[in-house]
Amino acid sequence: MSGLGVIPPDLASQVSAFTARLRDRHGFLIGPGETADALRALGAVDVLERREVRGALRAVLSASPEQLRLFDLEFNAFFRVEGAAQPKLPPLLPETKAPGGEEQTDAGPPPPPQPGQRPAPKPTRAPAPDDTPDPDEDAPDSQAPGQPLDGDDTAPPDDAAVPSLRARLSPNAAPGQAVQAGGDDLPDLLRAASALVRSLHLGRARRLKPQANRGPKLDARRTLRAAARTAGDATLLRWLGRPRRAPRFLLVIDGSRSMGTDATLLLRFAQALHLRSRRVEVYAFSTGLTRLTPALRRAAPGAPLSLLDLGEAWGGGTRIGENLLRLAREERARVNRDTLVLILSDGLDTGEPALVSRALRDLRAQAGQVVWLSPLAALPGYQPVQRAIMAALPFLDALLPVGGAADLHALPRRLKTARR
Amino acid sequence: MNAALPTPADLQAAFLARGYVADDALATALRLVVALGKPLLLEGPAGVGKTEAAKTLAATLGTRLIRLQCYEGLDAQSALYEWNYARQLLHLRAAELGGQGGVTDEDLYSERFLMARPLLQAIREEQAPVLLIDEVDRADDAFEAFLLELLAEWQITVPELGTIEARTRPHVILTSNRSRELSDALRRRCLYHWTEYPSRAQELAIVHARLPGVNETLAQQVTNAVHALRALPLGKPPGVAETLDWAAALVSLHADHLDAPGIRATLGAVLKLREDQLLAAPTLQGLAAQAAAGHQSGA
Repeated sequence: MSGLGVIPPDLASQVSAFTARLRDRHGFLIGPGETADALRALGAVDVLERREVRGALRAVLSASPEQLRLFDLEFNAFFRVEGAAQPKLPPLLPETKAPGGEEQTDAGPPPPPQPGQRPAPKPTRAPAPDDTPDPDEDAPDSQAPGQPLDGDDTAPPDDAAVPSLRARLSPNAAPGQAVQAGGDDLPDLLRAASALVRSLHLGRARRLKPQANRGPKLDARRTLRAAARTAGDATLLRWLGRPRRAPRFLLVIDGSRSMGTDATLLLRFAQALHLRSRRVEVYAFSTGLTRLTPALRRAAPGAPLSLLDLGEAWGGGTRIGENLLRLAREERARVNRDTLVLILSDGLDTGEPALVSRALRDLRAQAGQVVWLSPLAALPGYQPVQRAIMAALPFLDALLPVGGAADLHALPRRLKTARR
Repeated sequence: MNAALPTPADLQAAFLARGYVADDALATALRLVVALGKPLLLEGPAGVGKTEAAKTLAATLGTRLIRLQCYEGLDAQSALYEWNYARQLLHLRAAELGGQGGVTDEDLYSERFLMARPLLQAIREEQAPVLLIDEVDRADDAFEAFLLELLAEWQITVPELGTIEARTRPHVILTSNRSRELSDALRRRCLYHWTEYPSRAQELAIVHARLPGVNETLAQQVTNAVHALRALPLGKPPGVAETLDWAAALVSLHADHLDAPGIRATLGAVLKLREDQLLAAPTLQGLAAQAAAGHQSGA
C-alpha cells in the first residue's frame, strides 16, 4: 500500500526467516502472501517500538489462540535483543546464542520425542541481566535467527518450553508415552463411522433452502422467474424447505490405565469419524484433559495413528468429573443441539461423583444427545453400579456397550432405539 | 509511516475518549485494518467488547457502522440484496390499471426496487464504512465460503443489474465466539486478534471510563468481585458488559459499596444462570462481608 514505511532489507530477510520458522516448526499456514503482508504491516507501525512490531506480526501471522502462544514464544526467542537497553536501535537484532548452545551451529528444530528416548535435559541458561520482567519473554532461544532451519538430529534443550511439543506431567500420570493406535481395521471403522454420520438425524435446520417439490415457505424469487414462461402468471409455485441438520460429534475418550486396549480402539474410531465428518471434536482425559482434534487433523489418513506424548490425558488414573466439567465449560460455545456427545469410559473414577452430575447436566442442557459408551457394559451381567456411571445416568440418553468393532457398527441402530 | 493514518497510540487515545480501553495489541491490529485494508477476525469469550470495538472504530474514524448479524440459516441473499417483489407487482398492477402498458425489465429491475442488505450497502458507501460481520461462527459453512469470495473481490454481481464494484473498501471486522471452528481459508484472509478478559486494573479503568460518576470504592469492589467470580467454575462467566451492568445497577440503587442486600438485589445483572448464582453464593457472601468490614473501618 502506498504511503507505508519502507522496510530495511535486513529486516525484510529476518521477517522472512521468522515466518519460515513458524511455518516449518509449528505448521503455521504462512505463504509468501502472509510474509508480504507481515512486511506491509511493519511498514504501518513504528519499527522502533518493539510492542508495535510484535503486535503487527502477531495480527498477521497467527490465526488462533493456540498459535498466539507459540507465536509469542518464537517471537521472544527470535527477536530478543542482548544488551541493557530496549531496542532503541534497530529493534530486531538477532540474539546471540544461549550458553551451552555453541556446538549447535546448525541447530534446527528438534526431532519429535520418540518412545523410550531420554528426555531432553532441562535448560540451564542463567537469566541474562537484561531480561525483561515480562513473564512471557522467558522463552529460551535454540537457534540464532537467519540460520538454516533444518538441522541436525540432536535435540536442543530449549524447545522444552514449546507447549505443543511437550505436556507437563502430573505425579499421577503415566510418563507421557506416545500412543500408538495403529491397526488394520481402519476400513472397517470407516464403515461404522459413515453409518453413524448417515443415520444421525437430530432435526431440521432453521435455514431455508430451495426444495424440489414442497416446503413451508413460498420461494418468491424462483416463482417469479418461473412465471416468465407463463407470461407472468405464477402457475408453477416454488418452495423453500428446511434441510436436515448436519450432526456434530464431541468424543471424549477415557485414556486411563483401566481402559486398556479399548481406549486405542476408540481412538481409531475417533480418527475414522474425523475422516468422515468435518464437525468432530475429540478429547482424551486421564488425570488431565487434552484436545486431540489438531493431532487427528494432522495424522495421515492411511497411516497407523501415532500420537506423541499425551501426558496427563493418557495412561494415568481417572478423574472423570473434573475433566468433564472442564470440557463442558471449554466447549460450551461449540456444543449445541446438533451435537452428539459420546463419552467413552468405563466409569471407574477416583473423583467426586457430584462433579460428574454437574458436568453431565451442563452437557445435556446444550447437546442434542449425550451417550455413554462403556466397555464394561459389554460384559455379561453388567450392572451400572460405578459411582460415576450412577451419577451420570439421569442425564444420559443412553448407556451403551462398546466391547469391539461390532458394537461400533451397532451404534446407529442402538442410538435410534434409545431415542424412541 | 503514513501520517494520514492514525497510529496505534492515536487509536488508543481516541478509543479511551469514547470509553473503550484498548490494549496495545488491539490498537495495533485496528491500525493494520485501516492501513492494509485487510479484515480483522476478533475472537474471544462473550462480553469482552468485540462488537463494541467495531462500533468505537467507526466513531473514531467518523464513518458509518454497517452491521451484519450472522445466524444459522443466513444466506447470501439476505446479506446482499433482495428485490422488492411486492412493490414490483404493485407497480405492474398500477401500470395495467392506468393503461400505461409497456413496463419493461429495466423498469422492474431497477434501483428503486432493489433492497440493499448490509453487504451491498457497505460496498456502495462513498466513505469507507466499518463493516461489522458479527458472530460469523453462527453462520453456516456455505455463508463463510461466500464471504471468502466477497472479501477477496469486493464486488457483487446482481444478475439483473450487472457487477457492482466497491466504491471504497470497507474496514471489515469479523467477530466470533468460537462456537464453530472457522475454516483456515477465512482465517488466512484475516488479521487475527484474541480478546481476553481484561486485567483487574484494565477493568477498573473501563468502569471509570464508561461510568464516570461511579464511586471509587464501589468500582474497585465490583471489579474484584467479578474477577473472583471468573475464577469459579461458572457455566457463564461474567463479561465486561456484565461488570458495567452490575456497577450501573448498584449506582442506580445509590450503593457506595458492596453489601449483601445490594448483591441480592442486583445479582441478575452479573450472573445469568440460576446454577451459577447458587455456586457463587458463598464467594459473594465472603466478598460482601469483606467489603462491609472495609467500609466500617473506613467510615
